[in-house]
Amino acid sequence: MTQVAPRSLDTFTLASEPGNERLALARVAGTVKDLGLSDARLERLKTAVAEATMNAIEHGNGNRPEIPVEVEVTQDGDEIVVAITDQGGRIHPDTDEHEAPDLVRKLDGDQSPRGWGLFLIRNMVDAMDVTTDGQRHTIWLTMRTGGAAHDERM
Amino acid sequence: MTSACEATTRALPGAAVIELSGEVDGSAAAVLTDAYERAVTAGPESHDTVVLDFAAVDYINSTGIALIVSVLARARAERRKVVASGLSPHYREIFDITRLSDFIELFPDLDRAVSQLTHPAA
Repeated sequence: MTQVAPRSLDTFTLASEPGNERLALARVAGTVKDLGLSDARLERLKTAVAEATMNAIEHGNGNRPEIPVEVEVTQDGDEIVVAITDQGGRIHPDTDEHEAPDLVRKLDGDQSPRGWGLFLIRNMVDAMDVTTDGQRHTIWLTMRTGGAAHDERM
Repeated sequence: MTSACEATTRALPGAAVIELSGEVDGSAAAVLTDAYERAVTAGPESHDTVVLDFAAVDYINSTGIALIVSVLARARAERRKVVASGLSPHYREIFDITRLSDFIELFPDLDRAVSQLTHPAA
């Protein structure tokens, strides 16, 4: 059986400025639009890309525009993989190991209203991984084009 | 920070309506807070219900969700009900995942929300 090598579809960088996550989601959406994702799953991927890019801009690169966020979109068989890399080089304490958001506790004032980013990412994509080498911190978002793994809940 | 969110408010019998447009993200904090203040103090009646209409909103992120949580917490403390209308299927899903829809009744559009609130038996 022939193994098909992963195919890089797009690579780009963004300045670490609040709001640039919108550029990332628009460009990734344009790159993957013809790869067979349903509209609902494309919307989920867009939200995950936006949230991961926001984390990279804010927690990884400290909102310093001169430090780029790198985004790579790859197709590996029936999987679309989006890798978002910052130069923070460490685990993001506010995101990677964040306490799970609990709406009741938030409404009671026992937990900050914030802290939804990583929760949303995990719930939007089929798989999420984080790697770091001490300099670069990468979040890997995987979405299968075949559908199925995440049911269509709507 | 300049906000890409705008809000208009109006008063109905017993309900205050906040119609949002643009992007609900962290930069929308002042817009949303000001709109809530205006909405609940508008008109001679007290407003037991606040309607958040998202029909013209094209983007909500995690910090926008946090703002909505803050509005809901404040409304609950003031014994007001919050309902939402006009959410896209994607953002309805996010309201479900975050459990916001356990506390905020969702309507497909503003007309149906207003109709339900002003004629509850219909």
